[in-house]
Amino acid sequence: MKRKTFVAALALLATLPFISCSKSESKSKLTIALLPKSKGNQYFVTCEKGARTAAAELGAELKFDGPINSDPAKQNEIVENWITDGVDVIVAACENKDSISTALKKAQSAGIKVVTYDADAQTDARSFFVNQATAQGIGEQLIDTAAALTGGEGEFAIITGTLTAANLNEWIKYIKERQAAKYPNMKLVDTKPCDDQKDKAQQEATNLLSAYPNLKAIIGVCSPSVPGAAEAIKQAGKAGAVKLVGLGLPSENKAYVKEGVTQAVILWNVEELGYLSVMAGAAVAKGELVAGAKEFSAGKLGVKSVVGDNIILGKPFVFTKENIDQFDF
Amino acid sequence: MSKSTAFKSLLARHEAVLVLVILVEVVLFQTLGRNFLIGRNISNVFRHSVEIGLLAVAMTPVILTGGIDLSVGSMMGLCAVLFGMMVNSLGMDPWVAGLAAIAFGALGGGVNAVLITRLNLPPLIVTLGTFSLFRGLAEALTKGAESYSGFSPSFLALGNADIAGLPAQIWVFFTVAAGIWVLVHHTTFGRSFRAIGFSPEGARYAGIPVARNTSLAYIIAGAVAGLAAVILVARLGEARANAGIGYELLAITAVVLGGVSIFGGSGTVGGTLLGWVALAFLNNGLTRISDYRIMDQPVASVARELSGLLTGLLLLAALAIGASTKTLAVRRARKQSLSKPTSTPATS
Repeated sequence: MKRKTFVAALALLATLPFISCSKSESKSKLTIALLPKSKGNQYFVTCEKGARTAAAELGAELKFDGPINSDPAKQNEIVENWITDGVDVIVAACENKDSISTALKKAQSAGIKVVTYDADAQTDARSFFVNQATAQGIGEQLIDTAAALTGGEGEFAIITGTLTAANLNEWIKYIKERQAAKYPNMKLVDTKPCDDQKDKAQQEATNLLSAYPNLKAIIGVCSPSVPGAAEAIKQAGKAGAVKLVGLGLPSENKAYVKEGVTQAVILWNVEELGYLSVMAGAAVAKGELVAGAKEFSAGKLGVKSVVGDNIILGKPFVFTKENIDQFDF
Repeated sequence: MSKSTAFKSLLARHEAVLVLVILVEVVLFQTLGRNFLIGRNISNVFRHSVEIGLLAVAMTPVILTGGIDLSVGSMMGLCAVLFGMMVNSLGMDPWVAGLAAIAFGALGGGVNAVLITRLNLPPLIVTLGTFSLFRGLAEALTKGAESYSGFSPSFLALGNADIAGLPAQIWVFFTVAAGIWVLVHHTTFGRSFRAIGFSPEGARYAGIPVARNTSLAYIIAGAVAGLAAVILVARLGEARANAGIGYELLAITAVVLGGVSIFGGSGTVGGTLLGWVALAFLNNGLTRISDYRIMDQPVASVARELSGLLTGLLLLAALAIGASTKTLAVRRARKQSLSKPTSTPATS
């Protein structure tokens, strides 16, 4: 019995060389590998959509693969598998900056070009970072949108995540600078932290509404603050009277935007981020985009500026009642 | 055929089934996938699964005693964080810190051992507790966000370099696996694991120091988890509290797939190794198919998601085959013993 099994096993083993021969590989096409932070996340599914459009325009092959659980080793393993496959360029959104850099450097030494997007790796582990938004771009877009809604005057308040969050403070700094320079009739009356919790944001917004009866607008700079503040405005019966603008995903704000409680949600266009990242990856792989370049031509997005080793996606996108239905992330 | 040799042949048959499973996987992935049977990929298969392999071989003695250790994955997280702190904050040499991390692992295993053998608490409950405790400790130490990196290239080589054409860490794995194999199969100490799992009372009456020997199994599991953490950190170049998340279940899957009885008392280290290889090939092989297209649609988004499903199916199928052959063997043995008196000795 045992011997029979082993004979069968040996027979199977003997067929191996024949099977491995019957394979054809097409290596003429440019192969671009796109790594999301996580695969099921609607944000990255939307990125993939844009990436597929870009790959189709370029006539390139796109591989899209990413972790489906929280194992921090998964991104590295996917990159190493791509090294085995000999892809031309890896375009990565980095979950753990330092660990993924180990794998990306390996890819580089195997002759594979590396570009990052959405979240950067160590700077020597990639040639370019596709930057979805600068702090200045976000801050200015927020205040410009609020100003357009209030006619550039009146009191406004900010709800932030925590008072110590460096990126949020950077955005608030640009909001203040822009307001001082362009909208002198607007006045920032208060900045409240919501600890990145929707409930706390709702409570803070309720307090703001009663403390400042002349409040014309609220700006939410962290994503939980926007639906939180929307709920507060709705319950206070001030929908439309107090304008609400904030940073967040269209999906989590859609209901309030359609009800007219939230006037505008600001975020970069995620599909375009995927598109631009693949375009940048392809340009680097073909040697069209090299260190020191000031701009490059990104297909249907036109010419994009390159600042140092950052490729800038451009101004953030404003989601409103009119366009929010077209987006599902 | 005596009862014990019948049992041995059953185990051997299980291992033969696993060898077949592995061969079928190889043929399948080589046919359907791209770049499966090439040196670089096979090297990746083992590089990426050494940590789980280590946990699995160290889990084998524990399961042989009729116990289980759910805390090894969390232990990896804790040891990774402690290692990172020792190197980055205390400026320790990574190799010394590595040894210290293994010692911490052994200490954690000792905590499990004391609770299980001295207080006679069920291993499932004890290690479920330390499963949360160790991970929680790791998260508390790093406030859930901090991580450690910037390790020296000579240390990172442990996770990324090749020695004699094979991943550096595989040599560590071979050494540990061989050590545990010798312990379990070629020492009286190790044989006691199975005796304890088969019948703790019986083992005690036979003069086996049950508490001491069981403790050793948990201490080894903890120490090896510490080693796995160090190797994982060397591979990733970053130490984080979420290292090794979910690995304990993958390790247990490999052990059970390898034919080790979850009730203890029977099983081999070789079986565990085969179970581990079968799982490692399955996980990697599926990613090899990801390039393929069905009706011109890329199936990349399917393959990785299938790995959980197929792992489950493989485990259940292996267990079902094992159980049914055992039932068949018992039935056949009964039939033979019934027919024996009537058969003449000259028939064969």
